Amino acid sequence: MPLVAAAALPHTPQLLVRPETEDRDMVLRVHAAYAEAKRGLAAVRPDVVCILGGDHIEGFFLTSVPALAVYVGSSVSGKFDRYRYTFPVHEPLARAILEQGVEQGFDLAYSQDLALDYAFYVPLHFVMPSPAVPIVPLYVNVYLPPQPTPARCYAWGRALRAILDARPERVALLASGGLSHFPGSDRYDSPDYDWDRQMLDTLAAGRGRETAALTGEELDKAGNVEFRTWITLLGAVGDARAKVICYEPSWHHGNAVVTWPVA
Amino acid sequence: MSLHYTFPPAAGYPLNRCLYRLKSDDAFRERYLEDPEGTLRAAGLDAPRIAALRALDRGRLLALGAHAYLIFMAGLRLKMATAPQTFERF
Repeated sequence: MPLVAAAALPHTPQLLVRPETEDRDMVLRVHAAYAEAKRGLAAVRPDVVCILGGDHIEGFFLTSVPALAVYVGSSVSGKFDRYRYTFPVHEPLARAILEQGVEQGFDLAYSQDLALDYAFYVPLHFVMPSPAVPIVPLYVNVYLPPQPTPARCYAWGRALRAILDARPERVALLASGGLSHFPGSDRYDSPDYDWDRQMLDTLAAGRGRETAALTGEELDKAGNVEFRTWITLLGAVGDARAKVICYEPSWHHGNAVVTWPVA
Repeated sequence: MSLHYTFPPAAGYPLNRCLYRLKSDDAFRERYLEDPEGTLRAAGLDAPRIAALRALDRGRLLALGAHAYLIFMAGLRLKMATAPQTFERF
C-alpha cells in the first residue's frame, strides 16, 4: 500500500502550554493549521501514523545517543506538565522498518522502553485522527552532536518510503520539528525567518531533493537542527510540491505546517 | 562562527544530568524547589556549578559544559512548576 499522507508539523510546547509571552492569536492560527492537517489525515483513513521526531534529550539522555532509531515496544508514553499521553505502537510495522532498514545498511538503534518526547505528542495532540490509530515513533538525533548528516537523513527517508510502500497498512508519515529556533542560545529572540521562507519556497517548487546537500553547520546556523526530520520525510516524498498550510513566526520560532501529495 | 548546539564534554556530565532531571524528573524538580542547594550537592555538583545552575546563568552554564537546550527547558519547567497559573493549556 503506497503512503497515504505526508506532513511536517511544529511541536513547540508553547502551542500546548501557552506562556503569557506567547501571542495567543498566533497560537490559535497554528491550531487552525493543525486542524486542516488533521482533516487531511482523517480523509485518507490511515491505519498507522509513522512520526519522525527529534528527541529533546528526553527518551535518550547522554546514557545512549542513537543517530537513527525505531521504537518497537507495544505502547509508548510521555508526560509534560499536566498532560499524560499513551499511544499503542504498530509493532509489526515498527519491526518491519527496523529489520528491513538494517538489512538495507542503515544501522538503526531500537528501544522497547523509553519516555516519549514532546516532539511526538504535541503534534499528535492536535492532528491524530479520531478514532486514534497506532503510531511508530522514528527517531532522528537533532540536538546532540554529532548528528546524522542531511544526506544520510534523505537516504534513510528514501529507504523508508520503499519499505512503507511494500506494506499492507495505509501509512501516514509525519515529520515533527522546526522551523528556525534557537532554544537556550543567545539567539533565542532572533530566528532566521528568511532561511525558513526561502526553504518553504524551495519545497513548494518541488525541489525537496536539494535539502540532501545542506550541511549540519548550515542547519545549526539557521536554527534548523530539527530540519533533519523534514529532510528524512523529503527523502520519502521526493520532489512532490509542498503545500504550505501556514508559516507563523513567533518572536522565537518559525511555526510551519506543510503537507505533500503522495498519491 | 561557533555552533549553537555543541558536543557535551564529559566533564559537564553531572551538570547536564541535573539539568535533565530538572526538565524531566518531577520528583527531583520538587526536591530542588524545596532545597536547591542540598539537592544539587547531593547530586554531586560543586559550589560554582550550584551557583550557576541556581541563577540559570546561561553563559556560566555553557562555559561549564551544559547543553544549551537543557538549560532552556530546565528553566521553562521550573517556571511551569512555580507559576502554573501564568500558562494557558490547550
